[in-house]
Order: sequence, then structure tokens, then C-alpha cells
Amino acid sequence: MNKQDQYEEDILRQYINPERIEKAPEGFTAKTMTRIRIETQSVKVHRRLFRNPVVLVSVIITAVLILAVVFIPANSSESIGMSVLKWAGDPKISFPLLDFKPLPDLGLPGWGIYALIGVLFLAFFDKGLSVIFKKEKN
Amino acid sequence: MDYRGDIFYIEQVLEGKINAFSYLVDKHKDKAFNLAFRICGNREEAEEIAQDAFLKAYRALKGFRMKSRFDTWLYRIVYNTAISLIRSRKKGILSVEDFPADAIDFLTFHPNEEEAENEFRNSLVSFALQKMNEEERALISLFYYDEKNVTEISEVTGISKSNIKVKLFRARRKMTEIISKVEKKNTVYNEQAGSV
Repeated sequence: MNKQDQYEEDILRQYINPERIEKAPEGFTAKTMTRIRIETQSVKVHRRLFRNPVVLVSVIITAVLILAVVFIPANSSESIGMSVLKWAGDPKISFPLLDFKPLPDLGLPGWGIYALIGVLFLAFFDKGLSVIFKKEKN
Repeated sequence: MDYRGDIFYIEQVLEGKINAFSYLVDKHKDKAFNLAFRICGNREEAEEIAQDAFLKAYRALKGFRMKSRFDTWLYRIVYNTAISLIRSRKKGILSVEDFPADAIDFLTFHPNEEEAENEFRNSLVSFALQKMNEEERALISLFYYDEKNVTEISEVTGISKSNIKVKLFRARRKMTEIISKVEKKNTVYNEQAGSV
């Protein structure tokens, strides 16, 4: 370090006092720990969720259904799924047609909408029942 | 600094005892906050940066090599978080004329001369730091407030040692110039005030 350096350093040392640091505001540790705990909890819930076999099976079934919808050919135009099927040797994946007259004659994508509405209805029904029974339990 | 203490609490956290991390937060919060504050120049943002840095440190604690110092590793996270934030918002640089006149008034009329001088110097340092870029502010803060040497500053910032020496020298010279200009302005102000 040359003389010029030392001179400049001395000048700045007159102004900058390491003991005069800006201190963290009140409750900083508590706030930080709250954020950490929230994050840890959400990670735990996420992990627990996928350890539950019901959730895992549901996710697998949903994924299979989504893949089925993608791969089932549309009635007229050819979809990307169709070309993939052709490439794979056309295994002729199809779902059985239901011989039930009150229901409209629809293919799987059409059924999907009805199924989705049904699932949503059941979910709301289940939520409603759980709220009622929880109240009774308490 | 009780370095062994840090390792003990890090091991506790890694064993799943989250509360042990509060010891590390409590011990390093002021230095982490000061570094963030010196880089961004705003208390609210500094608090956010310091909190984010602790959160990132907690997430990455598994990857922390026990051979290095926890505070250096933490400062690196604070530095990177603060620099990213500063670069995302571009702010105009102040001119020497912008130095608040009330700070000079405070010095002139405060009853306790020594306290007034300290306050004045503190605001002058904050002002000078705001006139510099974020990298220079970080270097000055690490060198003077945290009393880190060139090797440690290099570890925190990821800049090579030779580059640190050059940048630090320029930053110090720049800061000295800013302070000298304001001091000159202050002398003129005092002379005018004395003659009235």
C-alpha cells in the first residue's frame, strides 16, 4: 500500500466507524423465522400429500385419463395424438361404447365433460359433508 | 466471532431442529442488514433483502461446506440478492448539490457538538455511498464496516482478488472525493452562517 492509499484510507476511517452499523429492525429474527416456518410447513404438506396412496393413485388415474383424451382420435380430423398412434403401429386403443339409451352417443372427449362435472359435484358434496361432520364432532 | 458456535447450530438445523436457525439469524442479522442497507440505501428494501438472504441460506444449508465460514457464505447470498434487486430497478444518481442542507443545519445548531459531528459524518457516508454504484458500495461496506480483507471480499463477491484491489482503490478514491466536496461546501456554508 503506497502513501496515497494510506492517506485516503485514513480519511475514510475518520468517517466510517465499523461500530456504527445500521442495525436490523425490531422483530427481524421473529419475522424471518416465521417465513422459514411457513416455507417448511408448505414443503412438509407437499411431501405428505404425495406420500398418501389415495392422492398418488388419483394423480396416476388423472394422468392416464388425460393421456387417453389426447390419444383418442377425433371423429374427422387427425390430431397430433392420432399421428403418434399411427407411428406407434396403430394399437387401436378404444373405449367400449355404452349401450344405454338415455345417455347421448358420445366419444370419450364428450364423456370427459360429463365426468368432470360429476367429479366436481362429488367434490363439493364431499366438502359439504366433511364440514357438517366436523361441526358435529366439535 | 464464535465460528464453532455457527457449525453447532447448522448441524442442529440439518438434524431438523428449525429453531436452531434463529440463533444464526440473531447472530448475523445486523451485519447482513447493514450490508444490504449500504448496497441499496433503503431500510425497507434492506430488511427484505436480508430476510430473503436468510431464507435462501436456510434452503441451501444442506449444500453448505462446513470448512468455509458461515458469515462469508451468508454475505455472499446477501450481496447477490441485493445486487440483483438494485440492477432490476434503476435509480438516478445524486449530485453533490443534493446533499441535504438540514444535515449541515443539524451540525451547526446541535447543542452536543461531538454527537452532531458523528451524525453529520454518518449522513455524509450514507450520501457518498449513494453516489457510487452498487458494486462499489458493497466493496466499501465489506472493507470498512465488516473489516474483511481482499481475500474474504473476493469470496463474498466472486470477483478476483486483483480486480477487487483495483475496484476498491477506485471506490475509496471516489468516496474521498465526494466527501471532500461536501466538506468544502459545508465550510463555505459555515463561514456564511458565521458572517451573518
